[in-house]
Amino acid sequence: MRVRLRVNGEPFEATIAADTLLLDILRGQGLTGTKEGCGVGVCGACTVLENDLPVSACLRLAACCEGADVWTAEGVAEREPRLARAFEEHEAFQCGICTPGQLVAAAAYLSQDLPADEGSVRDFMAGNLCRCTGYGTIVEAVLGALRDA
Amino acid sequence: MARVDAADKIAGRAVFTADVRLPGMCHAAVVRSPYPRAKIQAVDVSAALAVPGVITVVTGADLPERRFGRRVRDLPTLARGEARFCGERVAAVVAETREQAERAATRVVVEYAPLPAVLDAATALDPASPAVQTTPWSYPGAVVAEGTHNQQAHVEHGSREAAEAALQDAVFVVDRTYTTPTVHQGYLEPQAVVARIDTEGTVHVWMANKSPYALRRQLAEGFGLDPKAIVVHPVAIGGDFGGKGSPMDAPLCVELARAAGRPVRLVLRYPEDLAAANPRHPSRIRLRLGSDAAGRLLGLVSDAVLDGGAYAGFKPIPTVVPHGVEEPGRSYRIAAAHSSATVAYTNTVPRGHMRAPGSPQAVFAFESALDELAGLVGLDPVEMRRRNLLSTGEANPYGDAYVEARGRETLEAAIAAYRPVDAGPGERHGVGLALYDRQTPGGSTSLRLLPVPGGLVVEVGFPEQGSGTHTVVRDGLARALGLRPEAIAVRQVPTADLPHDDGVGGSRVTSSMSSAIAKAAEAWRSRTGDEAVLVVTEREQERPVTSYCVQLAQVAVDPESGRVRVLELLTAVDVAEVVNGRAHRMQLDGAAAMGYGYACLEDLDLRDGQVWAATLADYRLPTSAEVPRFRTVLVGGGRGLGALDVKSAGELANVPTAAAIANAVAAAAGVRVRDLPITAERVFVALSGR
Repeated sequence: MRVRLRVNGEPFEATIAADTLLLDILRGQGLTGTKEGCGVGVCGACTVLENDLPVSACLRLAACCEGADVWTAEGVAEREPRLARAFEEHEAFQCGICTPGQLVAAAAYLSQDLPADEGSVRDFMAGNLCRCTGYGTIVEAVLGALRDA
Repeated sequence: MARVDAADKIAGRAVFTADVRLPGMCHAAVVRSPYPRAKIQAVDVSAALAVPGVITVVTGADLPERRFGRRVRDLPTLARGEARFCGERVAAVVAETREQAERAATRVVVEYAPLPAVLDAATALDPASPAVQTTPWSYPGAVVAEGTHNQQAHVEHGSREAAEAALQDAVFVVDRTYTTPTVHQGYLEPQAVVARIDTEGTVHVWMANKSPYALRRQLAEGFGLDPKAIVVHPVAIGGDFGGKGSPMDAPLCVELARAAGRPVRLVLRYPEDLAAANPRHPSRIRLRLGSDAAGRLLGLVSDAVLDGGAYAGFKPIPTVVPHGVEEPGRSYRIAAAHSSATVAYTNTVPRGHMRAPGSPQAVFAFESALDELAGLVGLDPVEMRRRNLLSTGEANPYGDAYVEARGRETLEAAIAAYRPVDAGPGERHGVGLALYDRQTPGGSTSLRLLPVPGGLVVEVGFPEQGSGTHTVVRDGLARALGLRPEAIAVRQVPTADLPHDDGVGGSRVTSSMSSAIAKAAEAWRSRTGDEAVLVVTEREQERPVTSYCVQLAQVAVDPESGRVRVLELLTAVDVAEVVNGRAHRMQLDGAAAMGYGYACLEDLDLRDGQVWAATLADYRLPTSAEVPRFRTVLVGGGRGLGALDVKSAGELANVPTAAAIANAVAAAAGVRVRDLPITAERVFVALSGR
């Protein structure tokens, strides 16, 4: 079947099997910033924006994304340099495997006009696991980006 | 200035093993045993070969008999004749796509005859149980004597007679057994490897592995190849925590690349990683600890039994024991101590190393027992430790003395920083304390400095596994040479390009870089032309440095449900110089989060020989919403190692956490949980039994 969507602002069209995951078509395009971690939608390493909402690309059927506006970490880093800079300045990463997903989730937080307090950020970001940092610098980066907004 | 790896990792450009694409590359999937122990009667691959896209199917019988390992070489490439744990590789499929390979793997028909299996360490050590390995002493690197039964390793320290006699003389004695479960390192990048064999027969490997030169040696030994015929290429590593230092799937992937005649990529699905990689050893530790009437420690007898699983090959150190478990009570003055540790072979997933191997188990047991003994003596847990902590100059119970022993200072700093956090209505508040000290090791490496316009490039042989290793080199060299960090680029190169590196691990990178950076800066300054500079450092005879870590846990226990909320973890750490404050803090926070997971959440739930925590939905890692508040106190003024004058950081704050929380729960609710994790159910049962 054919699926047409926009990825990082560019039109994208592909012939896919009905069970093809959004994760696989993105990675197949060389957008390997979208990572497969747990594969069951709990770790957040594959988080992308679909029409501004964060979704787990490892659970999302590509066929369901017809007409969708999808943004990956590669696109988000370019579109929102201020947020990417906050991740850099606050050193909101270590190994980097969860980082693209964290960045995308943070972008979703910023776009939703949610409260700028630590507890709200921690609750929202709870869908993105990080085994390295203990989360402190990630939360600081999101709060920092909110302050600068 | 930002870390070396910041921009690429944040924008998702960093290349991890699963992102490596080579021309002609195909994909592998693994067929695994559903039985803990079974005879493999026959394998029918015909249906799998008929699946579209399949290139080849390989079984154990198709491969030469080769064994791999970090120290003991007992790991087969694929099971042959007998499968020894649930999840063991029995066959593998190579196909054009990963989905095709996985589909075909389900069509491989293996005829098994289940055999009686040994599912726990206590049963394994009973001479009447079946032998997991027929002649384990015959494997290269084995440390057990012929005729031993289901032992991977056994070590003892100290005099049993003296320790028993000391317990006889003691006024107060606790005799308790503590258990810890099998837990996973929880790196979010599953194990992954890509192998290619070039036209000259050189084996090229890209792998989520923290020690490229050790991997090269392990592969060379197993394949009987010259190490120069193997090249390990640099990739980013998506979390290690001790779990990515073994050959893992590399031998299989190399065989598959040979069989397919094309490059092969093998990336585990996370459930495979949970069930069949190399998780932390579960333990059962019986401690007998005695003191005089004033609470001074007189004797300790520790008997630790660890389940090593079906193969010993994931442990790198000479004793083949996760070494932390050998030294319970190492921070204290104990007149006579005897420690025994046995690692058993069982028909379960082989166990490996994880952040401070053996120490979280031993420290949970010892620091819990110390509080229990304090209770008998009638002493406050803080005072109990004040009376018994080593002073500078004293040797620990295992005969090791360090240039300084800063346990007291670290303890007092933690106590001084304590601020109570309120529990909720109806909850009971409690504070608990635990302590750990860890040696700072050095290591050997090599660096090459190349001039480029406006600065220089440093080639390194070790990966950036997340802790900031490459940034340490850049910033250290910039300081030593009086250059701006921007003028220095750090590049990891393939193993063929540098003589050696020890790899990342053992909390040694910053300390071992210390001397390499000093030497490289010296060589760079004194060179005559514009040539490249290569420096090689050997592990020096370091002065013995150790670092103390004291944790105070505040908990709120709901007496109705047994629910434990950890309100705050306060970590006081004995430091010398800190070269990168933020990276240092993240090592401590990340470790404390891991310690919290070990204490309260994580358990691979091994039953009937099978890992029942099938996904990361079942195996719960701490989230941003539920980690406790972390507070850190750095206790400066210590004496570190090398030109940078540093102490280790990476494997401290995950170690005392479980005991600190268990001690806090005991203080809050009056019940002692001796089995990890400390779940609401366990606390509820303990409360109900009172």
